[in-house]
Amino acid sequence: MITPLLEPGWVNAILPELILCVGGMLLALFDAFVPRAKGALAPLALIIFIAAAWTENLFIQGGTFFGGTYEISAITMIFDLTFLLAGMLAVLFSREYLDRQGLEDGAYYALLMWGTVGMMMMAKGLDLLIVVLGLEILSICIFVLVGFHRRIPVSNEASLKYFLMGAFATGFILYGTALFYGATASTNFNVMGRWFASNAATPLLTVAFVLLMSGFGFKLALAPFHPWAPDVYQGAPTPVAGWLSVAPKAATLIALVRLFDAMSPVLPKVNWMSMIAALAILSMIVGNAVAIVQRDLKRMLAYSGIAHVGYMMIAMLTVRDDSVAAVAVYTITYALMNIGAFGVVSLLVKNENDPHTLEDIAGLGFRRKFYGFALAICMFSLSGLPPTAGFISKFYIFKTAIESGHTTVALIGILASIVSVYYYLRVVYYLYMKEPAEGHVVQAGGSVFALGALTIAVVGILIIGIYPSPLFQAAGNAARVLLQQ
Amino acid sequence: MPILSTILWLPLAAAIVLAFFPRTADSAIKGWGLFWSTATFIVSLALLRGWDDAQAGFQFVESHPWIPQWGINYGLGVDGITLWLVLLTTFLTPLIFLAGWNSLKKHPKEYVISFLVMETAMIGAFLATDMLLFYIFFELMLLPMYLVIGVWGGANRIYAAIKFFLFTIAGSLLMLLAILYLAFQSYHQTGLPSFTITDLYGTMLDPRAAMLLFFAFSLAFAIKVPLFPLHTWLPDAHVEAPTGGSIILAGVMLKMGTYGFLRFVLPLFPEQTEKWAGLMITLSVIGIIYGALVAWVQPDMKKLVAYSSVSHLGFCVLGIFALNQTSIEGSILQMVNHGLSTGALFMLVGVIYERRHTRLLADYGGIGRTMPVFTVFFVIAVLSSVGLPGLNGFIGEFLILSGSFKTAPVAATFAASGVILAAIYLLWLVQKVFFGPITNEENRNIPDIAWNEIAAVVPLVVFMVWIGVRPNTFLKKMEPSVKHLVSTMQTGAESRTPVVADVAGSSLLVARDSSPARPVTTNQPPPTSNRTGGAQ
Repeated sequence: MITPLLEPGWVNAILPELILCVGGMLLALFDAFVPRAKGALAPLALIIFIAAAWTENLFIQGGTFFGGTYEISAITMIFDLTFLLAGMLAVLFSREYLDRQGLEDGAYYALLMWGTVGMMMMAKGLDLLIVVLGLEILSICIFVLVGFHRRIPVSNEASLKYFLMGAFATGFILYGTALFYGATASTNFNVMGRWFASNAATPLLTVAFVLLMSGFGFKLALAPFHPWAPDVYQGAPTPVAGWLSVAPKAATLIALVRLFDAMSPVLPKVNWMSMIAALAILSMIVGNAVAIVQRDLKRMLAYSGIAHVGYMMIAMLTVRDDSVAAVAVYTITYALMNIGAFGVVSLLVKNENDPHTLEDIAGLGFRRKFYGFALAICMFSLSGLPPTAGFISKFYIFKTAIESGHTTVALIGILASIVSVYYYLRVVYYLYMKEPAEGHVVQAGGSVFALGALTIAVVGILIIGIYPSPLFQAAGNAARVLLQQ
Repeated sequence: MPILSTILWLPLAAAIVLAFFPRTADSAIKGWGLFWSTATFIVSLALLRGWDDAQAGFQFVESHPWIPQWGINYGLGVDGITLWLVLLTTFLTPLIFLAGWNSLKKHPKEYVISFLVMETAMIGAFLATDMLLFYIFFELMLLPMYLVIGVWGGANRIYAAIKFFLFTIAGSLLMLLAILYLAFQSYHQTGLPSFTITDLYGTMLDPRAAMLLFFAFSLAFAIKVPLFPLHTWLPDAHVEAPTGGSIILAGVMLKMGTYGFLRFVLPLFPEQTEKWAGLMITLSVIGIIYGALVAWVQPDMKKLVAYSSVSHLGFCVLGIFALNQTSIEGSILQMVNHGLSTGALFMLVGVIYERRHTRLLADYGGIGRTMPVFTVFFVIAVLSSVGLPGLNGFIGEFLILSGSFKTAPVAATFAASGVILAAIYLLWLVQKVFFGPITNEENRNIPDIAWNEIAAVVPLVVFMVWIGVRPNTFLKKMEPSVKHLVSTMQTGAESRTPVVADVAGSSLLVARDSSPARPVTTNQPPPTSNRTGGAQ
């Protein structure tokens, strides 16, 4: 069967990607030619992101494109919007941060956009190679963004670390992809799905799966592939760290959903999923246990992120419409609360080479009331307390886990989140109950942009927490469409 | 206008508006809190006007779909079990603002907001007829309390706040898992997703799962009560909490635990309840005696009152797991009593602490002469807590003990010693602090209780007397619901041991109350019972 390489409507299908690609280039050029107008970069970047989000639900019709390698559906739209939301929040927090650090540069915003394009490809790719391609586009952007603080040693260290380990991870993923191709004669998820439906798993596939999961586990910061995360988050410019801790994970998860769905006929017969369960349990335990001893906020959030990926992996143990919807809802929630938390940290005025310790935010809740309130809401949400989005999303995760029969893993998840409450509350303790030490009052900067971003995060967390039904409905429907094919 | 929603959201709405007040408007902030919490109380009184004494189920029911795909509703309702607890909550909150009017100096705005949010959360937990809604309010009340202890508390407040939070959250998260499992089983059996509490009552569970769920729920509530040996967070929290925090914590929040037993544990797991009632009764009796003995040796007044809470709440749990109508009615009444009398005690300890900045018994002595009005109120509160006939504490403890004697005579005998111990340690407290010579010169010139504090404590005293003299006002409204609970327990468990409904205990009260025979329509043929017992 010969299919035309470019189906009609392909331009509309990738309109958001095109807008981001071209917009990023124009922004970089604009900065090169008009170096004085650095203040305009963030608003322009914001407009480009909003334009991309606007085209998402305006022009796009669902379907597969580019010879069945690229799929547009409701779920990709949800994930696209999550990436765009993460990007926008990062831009909003970056404005003041970059200005303060003297790093304002068109390339920075361009890299955020191109990274978003990479993630969109991962979410939409129906072919493992497209996923890998998207992942590489994303990774290269991250290497540069993490090292954007080029005069600061920790930033350089972080970039190099992520580069070296990321290269390894990509190698694993490519090797795994090759082995998958060797076993199933295709890298297309749909073709692989048909192959799995009529064939049994072979040891070769086990090796391929382990290799793939090692690579994706690295991108997800899933224990035991997590050790890069604290160092990289600590060194990266703080808004980038927030973005990095959320968006690439979401993209990797949706790619994994497609992979697991394709393999679903053989999964009951092999115990690959118990490996995933082990990774999830390990992540929850390691992430939460180590986060307790962290004094640096960014490192603490890194370990908390490891635990949160563990929670999300609980839902991935059985790929059903509910579990996919739970993961989609959780990533949106996670984007709001984690970027919000990193955002408040990014507002602290201090030498970026030094750790951002808990002492830095002592008494912030009464000094800068809205920042304190926002960070407290993010912490409550991260620890899964009602009435925040973090609670209802975690509830969704555990609900699907119990309905899929993973009660033990859910129990471990619950126990792990009891532990997590301690270190999230410690942040609230420093915010409101601790007086700053003499001569150690860290000021917080601020701008309209940062205030706007924090407002989006807080309002989003509360709205999803109080009235989650529409989002659940949308995510549930989208997941059903995804899994029917 | 839906009355339950009004009562529920009014404090929160007031708190949100208050957030925009300028922080320097000190009296306006306190006045705003006092005004709206009083308004909430007045609105909540409308519950009594529209109350149907004969109805056992939920009244004033409201239900709207909230997360329809999971069968989760925004469902509110109030029945005989919760009516007085809701009123207790709306009653106590304005008194806190009143009592703390002069002493509240640090961040008054955040303080008032915290208490208003807490009021909404507590009312919500009592009113919710949906499990998830209940759970959300159950946890929501932790956050403001954490802040209240942590920001306005004493020297060791951080430790106390974190301990309070971690203890409670550990229990409630396990309960969340149990709720999910239960709802899933129910969905499995009925085909309809639902989190409505009454829908889940009939869920069939295999014994092992039922036992695990029973313990998951019981753990959450036992920590909250707190039941021995899970009580260790309570003295710390109470000692460090500011006066208002202690009043709400003891007055209302602890009742979430006992209420949870009544609403969830008993009707959801009747067989397991019967099976493990012995354990719960044993723990509650240990708590009664242990709490009393530890209270006896406390050098700190507030700690003494805190441990007396452990002891008194032990009575409530004993009454619940004695599983008969009298004891459960007594238990509910005792929850209200404890809110009033311990609330008053914490308030008065706060009053004296404000003046002398010490709570050690050894620093006082003979202040009955310098603070005569204060002493009168304190002694009334103590006598109410001790269980002097004519005051509220007596009625509650009497009903609990007389009910428990039917089903658990040994436990009731031991528990009765708790009453005596309470008399010892509380009267000992009174004697040390108020009577005898003035040993400390600083105690000579303490100003007596102020107008706002009198205004806060007088309503409490009024109700102590009212419940003590006419308990029927309160009992008759809860009776149908309790009877219904006991009978569903009975049919649910198909128990071999019949639930003993008592007639003697109630008729005693009827006689004491000298009102014409209260309709004692219990589910047991009365001929054998001794109706003349009431004539003494």
